[in-house]
Amino acid sequence: MTTIKKHLIGLSVSAMMLGAASAQAEIKIALAGPVTGPVAQYGDMQFIGAKMAIEQINKAGGVNGEQLEAVVYDDACDPKQATAVANKVVNDGIQLVVGHLCSSSTEPASDIYEDEGVLMITAASTSPTITEKGYQLVFRTIGLDSLQGPFAAKHVVDAIKPQRVAVIHDKQQYGEGLATSVKSELDKAGVNVVMFEGVTSGDKDFSALIGKLKKENVDFVYYGGYHPELGLILRQSREKGFNAKFMGPEGVGNPDITAIAGEASEGLLVTLPNSFDQDPKNADLVAAFKAKNEDPSGAFVFPAYSAVQIMADSIKAVGSVDTDAMAKHMRATTFSTPTGDLAFDAKGDLKEFSFVVYEWHADGSKTAVK
Amino acid sequence: MKSTFYSALFAAVVTLILTCLMLGVNLKTEGIALTVSMASEGTWSMIIGAVLAVFLFQLFREKLADMINLPSLPSADHFIPEGKKGEKLKQLAISFVIAGMIIWPFFASRGAVDLATLTLIYIMLGLGLNIVVGLAGLLDLGYVAFYAVGAYTYALLSLYYDVSFWVALPICGALAALFGFLLGFPVLRLRGDYLAIVTLGFGEIIRILLNNWTEVTGGPNGISRIPKPDLFGLEFSRRASEGATTFHDFMGISYNSSHKVIFLYLLAVLLVIVTIYVINRLTRMPIGRAWEALREDDIACRSLGLNPTVIKLTAFTMGASFAGFAGCFFASRQGFISPESFVFIESAIILAIVVLGGMGSQLGVILAAIVLTVLPELAREFQEYRMLMFGLLMVFMMAWRPQGLVPMKRPHLELKTNE
Amino acid sequence: MLEQLLYFVQQLLNGLTIGSTYALIAIGYTMVYGIIGMINFAHGEIYMIGTYVTFIVIAGLAYMGLESLPLVFTAALLVSMAVAASYGFAIERVAYRPLRGQTRLLALISAIGMSIFLQNFVRLSQGSRDIAMPSLITGGWTFGDPSSFEASLSYMQVIIWVVTLVTMAALTLFITRSKWGRACRACSQDLGMTNLLGINANNVIALTFVVGAALAAVAGLLLGLYYGVVNPYVGFIAGLKAFTAAVLGGIGSIPGAMLGGLLLGVTEAMTSAYFSSEYKDVVAFSLLVLVLLFRPWGLLGKPEVEKI
Repeated sequence: MTTIKKHLIGLSVSAMMLGAASAQAEIKIALAGPVTGPVAQYGDMQFIGAKMAIEQINKAGGVNGEQLEAVVYDDACDPKQATAVANKVVNDGIQLVVGHLCSSSTEPASDIYEDEGVLMITAASTSPTITEKGYQLVFRTIGLDSLQGPFAAKHVVDAIKPQRVAVIHDKQQYGEGLATSVKSELDKAGVNVVMFEGVTSGDKDFSALIGKLKKENVDFVYYGGYHPELGLILRQSREKGFNAKFMGPEGVGNPDITAIAGEASEGLLVTLPNSFDQDPKNADLVAAFKAKNEDPSGAFVFPAYSAVQIMADSIKAVGSVDTDAMAKHMRATTFSTPTGDLAFDAKGDLKEFSFVVYEWHADGSKTAVK
Repeated sequence: MKSTFYSALFAAVVTLILTCLMLGVNLKTEGIALTVSMASEGTWSMIIGAVLAVFLFQLFREKLADMINLPSLPSADHFIPEGKKGEKLKQLAISFVIAGMIIWPFFASRGAVDLATLTLIYIMLGLGLNIVVGLAGLLDLGYVAFYAVGAYTYALLSLYYDVSFWVALPICGALAALFGFLLGFPVLRLRGDYLAIVTLGFGEIIRILLNNWTEVTGGPNGISRIPKPDLFGLEFSRRASEGATTFHDFMGISYNSSHKVIFLYLLAVLLVIVTIYVINRLTRMPIGRAWEALREDDIACRSLGLNPTVIKLTAFTMGASFAGFAGCFFASRQGFISPESFVFIESAIILAIVVLGGMGSQLGVILAAIVLTVLPELAREFQEYRMLMFGLLMVFMMAWRPQGLVPMKRPHLELKTNE
Repeated sequence: MLEQLLYFVQQLLNGLTIGSTYALIAIGYTMVYGIIGMINFAHGEIYMIGTYVTFIVIAGLAYMGLESLPLVFTAALLVSMAVAASYGFAIERVAYRPLRGQTRLLALISAIGMSIFLQNFVRLSQGSRDIAMPSLITGGWTFGDPSSFEASLSYMQVIIWVVTLVTMAALTLFITRSKWGRACRACSQDLGMTNLLGINANNVIALTFVVGAALAAVAGLLLGLYYGVVNPYVGFIAGLKAFTAAVLGGIGSIPGAMLGGLLLGVTEAMTSAYFSSEYKDVVAFSLLVLVLLFRPWGLLGKPEVEKI
């Protein structure tokens, strides 16, 4: 019985604290994503971006005199934990969420947010299905796979004109989605796609696959997936004397791929969102990240920053944290953010999101391809 | 004394080797180059502290052991009264617990109810695996496959044929049971560790097939928008779908999202109670007795005229069917499933629940499921260390109390001697 | 025609290399199992730690300006074996010794717990990102016509085969010829009796774990250099495959581990080559089920005799 009593006391204490917190006037923003698990490094990108935005907005006086506060929730990119996190967010009375990271987590969580009137902006989930459900409160500040795929395919058709193409993916939502869309675009353009195959993520040995690519005389490979696998594929291709041109999405576009593949990463093509940290407009912001010893070059850092800023701007415009009104405002307004001037369409996606094809170099740097 | 000193020194050196490189030095990729750096002074002082602590502990271990007798867990016997009187008390207690479980969600927070629902799913899975591992003594490392079969059955039926939860529930159980039956055949001849690896392989095969069969299962995209269960045709959503009524309209109350959460919870409670009841009856039936007999002694079992093939098959089939029910419920609660949810680590967690609870013991399995799902939630402040703690807990539980939290008690007679 | 043949040979070589990597790890599994009849589920994690230590030593020596290959290899091998051996010793002490004499299931759970613990321990101390290292030994032989199909065999692949064979031979000699090996075999037959005969069974079992872990470190070093990548999760995946290989060959039998590993590797490579890499794991596990259907004790294992 004592434990129940303790629990009750705990409840009332936390209720009092909640009261105290609202008296201090703070607007809480939930940052949901993987703190643990294999993709925690991508979660970090999102967290540092969002936290920086919150810090700077608070420094500038907050939103309508109220301070923003970040509350981090860990979903470990596990769909089951993502629903638990979503319920917890609702339970904690938080109405704004920046997250989640993995599409497979965002998907079930967004159902709950929409139902409970929580406004969610994901800065990282690129799966088209998330915004296809006609939800009112679900937005994203990053480009979709369904934009990136055709963009990459167009570059292949116009600039590379390969003879025999292989499309490889890692059998995960992100990679397979992109690969499928690239393949169908290439098919439409009449490019000869001779292979479409999945590999197992986490695998280390791709020699059998490379042998097959070599036999098929493939001269161009599109890879849908993340850098650890493509890095190894490049490295082993070099060792096996297979020299085709490779291309991948933003999931492979980080310096780690050069660390893994070394010389073999020279000439790799990557479709990336504009690198916002290279934009001279954002020099101050980049300096602020560097001052905190954080890396601003991650693909989700700036989109997460923009997500928070859009939330803050909308609260200012609406006057309170009224999520329905905020959503209406967001659909009607163009926001000026570090990732450019952003406007949302009816589905909650960005009206425009531009990608750039970069060529990777053996020293880990990249240059834009004209 | 001298030998103690040397063994203490040895232990300290081992500790130093264990920690100095893996903790004391950090590998990092800076830009594209691999670099090593020494860890912070704080880490190093912790390493040295740990080495000293191990040394001193080993040196004075015997003295310490004399001074403090490690308390052992209270025996579970105290909690379960014996005899006829106990039986009545037990029934009373059970009805109280059930009543409490039904009333509780109306006062608890939404997050807690949701967590409780998840716990109940694990209880069901634990109870199901308990039949295979705890009662029949067959080590199954691929139990999650049947869970996946159940979940995907409901998801696919609702996606393609618009089958409602209540119709799908028995189908899920039956189909999972069928898979259990099919797996049962090849593994009949195997024992122990061979059985473990084959079941593990089976679990992986099911997951990979679900992942590869993109046309039907959606592959890695999974299946989303799986409908929630309804209550006699009443839906628990804000807006009713076509031709349906919502619960709040029907009852004439305003919409409250927590109704849905509570309803799911109550449904889970119902499923768990049914599971417990069925398994309880089964263990008292000849077949349940046969499972345990098989676990205790294969050969004796055969010489008594019991057919081990049939017994193993029933154990697999029954165990699988409960995973099927749990999977069906999981799919509807989650609303979205993908092969990611059915990886090996899930099987390991369910197995840990069974072993932690005390193999064969229902009460134990329930307690263990609660401990293993609620504990990580409470320890979310240490998010980073959650899985670390989980691993440690598994190791230490086995050493500390291998018979589980609540060891299984079989009905038995004792001779009482008059004093 | 020649092209087809070369392609087949190339895939066979690939398969044999993959198989050797499995076998190298599987030998450690099978040895521990052979002696105490318990699966050391954390074996894969020791392999992973071995790779980390190798990388630390190589990067550390490079930092100090030492880059002579033989020296670097010897240092990395010795240090990683020492560290891995300590881990093997500690695992036996913490996760296995308290459970001696209990059901196997408990030790298995405890080992799974250990595996989760070590995985997360390394994740917390070294981060979850992939750590990569440039290839130190490059080059190889090529044969065939560059214009049609050219098969290649790298030096590193040959080194892996040789080391796997040597390790296997050395271990077999150790078990069959040495005094410790005899004690190990005695323990595997009857633990209680061995104790009565004046052999400290505890020490023998600890030794088994230490040797098994040292073998994992050899695998860690070699495969770390071959693939050039490590993260905290590689141990689990590799361990699972090695475990499958050990069971396929008949767990407890050292040549069995080799055979199982090679068979598994070639099956995977051939599935990828002539069918699709998406199904290689399905085919691999199906092969296991199929073999165990007809030989429930594995290819080279001994059938268990039922004692009454």
